[in-house]
Amino acid sequence: MTTTTQVRTAVVARGLTKVYGEGDAAVHALRGVDVGFAAEAFTAIMGPSGSGKSTLMHCLAGLDTVTDGQVTIGDVEITGLNDKQLTLLRRERVGFVFQAFNLLPTLTAEQNIMLPLEIAGRQADQALFDRVIETVGLRDRLGHKPSELSGGQQQRVAVARALISKPQVIFADEPTGNLDSRSGAEVLAFLRRSVRELGQTIVMVTHDPGAASYADRVVFLRDGLLVSEVERPTPQTVLDTLMALEA
Amino acid sequence: MFRITLTGLLAHRLRLVLTSLAIVLGVGFIAGTFVLTDTIDAGFTQSFAADADKVDVVVTPDDDAEPDGNLPESALAAIRAVQGVEDAQPMVSGDAPLIGKDGKVVGNVPTAGVSIPASRIKITSGRAPSAAGEAVLDKNTAKTQGLAPGATVTVLDQAGKRQQFRLVGVFDVGLDQDLAYRGAVAFTPDTARRVTGAKGFTEIDVVSSGPSPESLRTAVAAAAGKAKVVTGRERADEVAKRNHVDTSFLRLGLLLFGAVALLVAALVIYNTFNILVAQRMREMALLRCIGATKRQVFGSIVLESAVVGLLSSVLGLLTGLGLGAAAVAVLRAVGTDIPTGTVSLSPQAIAIGVCTGVVVTMGAALLPARQATRVPPVAALRAQVEEHAFRTGVVRVVVAALFVLTGVGLTAAGVLQKPGQAALLTVMAGGVLVFFSVLILGPVIVRPLSGLAGWVPARLFGVPGRLAVDNSRRNPKRAATTTVALTVGVTLMTFMTVLTSTMRTTVGDQLDQQFPADYILSAQTGTIPRSVADTLRASRDLAAVTEFRGKKAKVNGRDFEVGTVTQSALGTAIKPEAASGTMDGFGAGEVAVADLVAKDLGVKVGDTVTVASGGRRTSLKVVAVLKADVSLLPPFTMAEQTFERHFGRVDDAQVLVNAADGVAPERARKIVDDATAAYPVVKVGSTTEIRGQFDEALDSILMVITGLLALAIVISLLGIANTLSLSVHERTRESALLRALGLTRTQLRGMLSVEALVLGLVGAIVGVVLGIVYGWAATATFTENVSFQLPIGQILLFIAASGLAGVLAALLPARRAARASVVGALAAT
Ligand SMILES: Nc1ncnc2c1ncn2[C@@H]1O[C@H](COP(=O)(O)OP(=O)(O)O)[C@@H](O)[C@H]1O
Ligand SMILES: [Mg+2]
Repeated sequence: MTTTTQVRTAVVARGLTKVYGEGDAAVHALRGVDVGFAAEAFTAIMGPSGSGKSTLMHCLAGLDTVTDGQVTIGDVEITGLNDKQLTLLRRERVGFVFQAFNLLPTLTAEQNIMLPLEIAGRQADQALFDRVIETVGLRDRLGHKPSELSGGQQQRVAVARALISKPQVIFADEPTGNLDSRSGAEVLAFLRRSVRELGQTIVMVTHDPGAASYADRVVFLRDGLLVSEVERPTPQTVLDTLMALEA
Repeated sequence: MFRITLTGLLAHRLRLVLTSLAIVLGVGFIAGTFVLTDTIDAGFTQSFAADADKVDVVVTPDDDAEPDGNLPESALAAIRAVQGVEDAQPMVSGDAPLIGKDGKVVGNVPTAGVSIPASRIKITSGRAPSAAGEAVLDKNTAKTQGLAPGATVTVLDQAGKRQQFRLVGVFDVGLDQDLAYRGAVAFTPDTARRVTGAKGFTEIDVVSSGPSPESLRTAVAAAAGKAKVVTGRERADEVAKRNHVDTSFLRLGLLLFGAVALLVAALVIYNTFNILVAQRMREMALLRCIGATKRQVFGSIVLESAVVGLLSSVLGLLTGLGLGAAAVAVLRAVGTDIPTGTVSLSPQAIAIGVCTGVVVTMGAALLPARQATRVPPVAALRAQVEEHAFRTGVVRVVVAALFVLTGVGLTAAGVLQKPGQAALLTVMAGGVLVFFSVLILGPVIVRPLSGLAGWVPARLFGVPGRLAVDNSRRNPKRAATTTVALTVGVTLMTFMTVLTSTMRTTVGDQLDQQFPADYILSAQTGTIPRSVADTLRASRDLAAVTEFRGKKAKVNGRDFEVGTVTQSALGTAIKPEAASGTMDGFGAGEVAVADLVAKDLGVKVGDTVTVASGGRRTSLKVVAVLKADVSLLPPFTMAEQTFERHFGRVDDAQVLVNAADGVAPERARKIVDDATAAYPVVKVGSTTEIRGQFDEALDSILMVITGLLALAIVISLLGIANTLSLSVHERTRESALLRALGLTRTQLRGMLSVEALVLGLVGAIVGVVLGIVYGWAATATFTENVSFQLPIGQILLFIAASGLAGVLAALLPARRAARASVVGALAAT
């Protein structure tokens, strides 16, 4: 994986604007965000509640339409694509981990993990599957239904599912939001390992400074604008930046 | 609580629309039935009343007179002499076989020759007959024979001679079922008596010159002698009452289908409320948290169902009014004679419609309402409503087993019983019990069945297909109720098709056995001259000519039909099946007896019976007892010479004709037609025609029943649509997740279509199995010799159509699911 530039960017947003509603009721969730996310790196998006984190993620992932601006994933500009094209793009290049309701209740853990590949009609890479399962440590849980798994295990299944199709980027929206701190730490460590060991690109939305400190870089949003960023964060540096922003 | 209920209703109004529609259709059908029958009743009553005003006193033969006992001619003169009688007109009734365009008598039974009092006859064109050479014809016969006033009609008089009349008008037989069936030519009273040979009158209508009908009745009764004398109004009431019985049958029959539709609607409602309660678990728990009692939660749901039931029933009444009016219009358009009356909803129809609608809705909501009271207040605090895995309870299995065992037991008992009505009823009772066991066991059997039904779709449609099959079985209770609703309709439809196709082949086989002939010659009245058979036998294009002759005689002291058949035909053209003994070498002094008669008289092979008639007695030895239901032969069959020695020369009652091999049907037919051309009463029928007529009759019955059952099917499809849209709503997040993971809109829609397909197929499979089994069981109770016939094509069509209908029902819910934005759905809780 040699590239011409030292740091490749996996996802780029330029002048990203998102307005909900019209007229008096209009809410400007994003007001022209310029941001790039490095490939094979773990980036966190932080900001106070209502600052536009989820909106940004949805727009970057092609789940929602943008009002203005451009989003590029790899070499594809996604802002001009129609629903069908976006769906196929998500299928091929994007992985997701949501805060909750990540799994289909009728399928076993293994079936949930294999779901995106099956939807895309692709074969699983057996070596990758074994490695992913080993990393998440779920081998003895593969035949279980989601209702028989703990919250942490469910999120790990979700992460495994995102990894198995080797997407260009995984978007995670508050993946640890519903977990106790120990399970949360497990999932975060696992996310970081998949960046280091599998070369995965991950963009994670969180409002927890502790969670953000697992990332390589943290970007800060406030009122729909990118206002700051921190490289190689620690809980303390993240907290300091947040305090400075709130002031 | 009432306000909460109302806001709840408004919040869920869209979801309740489909439910209401189920009730609207059910109630609409019932109300429509009443509208239709009420309208017919009212129309008849009106026309009776109008008739009644024209006649003051009606004299008919005494109720306990013999069936053909008429009023004596002397009665007319006596009545005319009564003071206060302005006019008295007699009614004459007999046979006047009409000769049709083909030179043969019209119809299967002789046309009636009548005289109807001028005050009563309804002339629709031309005028009533007033001279000896004039006649009028009933409307239907005039139409089918293409005859109009001015034409000449030919009828056969009592001696079988042709008589010609000038047609001066066309009349309407009104409500006289007998005349409507036979067709009628009306003459002046004297001509009618001369042509038909009828003695006396069937009725005398009296018009008063002043006295009240009541007082005139007394006077007329005194003069008429032994007769029944009533006023015109009393007579009208009587006829109206008799007619009301007819419409009551129609009403009862239609209401039966209405009941099936309502049963299906009840299942749909039960399911909807169950799902709504499950979805509003949090809401209920919250209500309980803030202090609502169990009773209040229960009450709010029951109240909700009452409101839904009431609104739907009212809409149903309006629908019924429309349906009834449409039915009346259609009946008139296809030429059914119904007097015009105004279409209206009677108070009875309103009461019954609203009551059944509300009771069914509330009844169906009771169990779900009880379920709602079981929600603990803490459920409000739980993050997510977990899906209950269905576990087969012991109670369910035990109860179902009881139903299955008694149901199957009854069915088996019915099938093994002697054919007859009791056997049929036993089988049907067994069927109802087995159906209930299916209802109870539904959730248990729906899983493996959906696996079976989904086997192909899951492999054909990839991931969406597999997910769909999983979804169809994730809530077995819901899936079971949804599919059972469809099962009801499919079971009944399959049952009817199996029944009719079995009847068709059975009757076809019987026809082959009974009429092993290409043509059947029979006389509408009297007999066929023997010269006809002789002429036919002379033709080389005909292979076999079999004559049947018969006479009434006393056998061992009781009245029976005794007959004979062409000796050479025995064992060749006709092969009687003997229960015991044999007809091989049948000859003089021997007799073959039908099994039922043999049992009746207590005779068996080897016994001797005595035939007595006209002072002659012949003793005969019984050589065979024949199976009556497959035999054409009369109760007692003698050899030709023995018959002739006893009865003398007797003409043929029936002649069977077989064409020789290789002779074209048209040619054979022409020979037969030519031989009978001189005898208008001898009619030629072909077995193909008879079978065609029978098939046609069966087809039209099946069509009407299928049409009536379609309502139940439509309602069950509403149920599928309802369940799916509620499930779609429940699975909003799941759908969003799948879309995020790369499922296209089309695939999501496809997934829901496949789920509906599986539900439809499961309902159809259960229905088809039940329908076939009970169709078979029912036919087994009809007669001994049934040729069971499985209409495989039609049944496969039912299954395919059910699946397709399911997919159709999923169209709207699937569209809605596919349209939802991914982000919005992800945010939804
Ligand atoms: N579907 C929507 N319609 C209207 N406003 C919305 C919608 N989604 C989000 N918003 C608004 O946009 C802003 C940003 O929301 P969001 O991206 O969810 O913030 P965060 O995830 O950082 O808490 C908020 O003010 C929110 O109220
Ligand atoms: Mg958010």
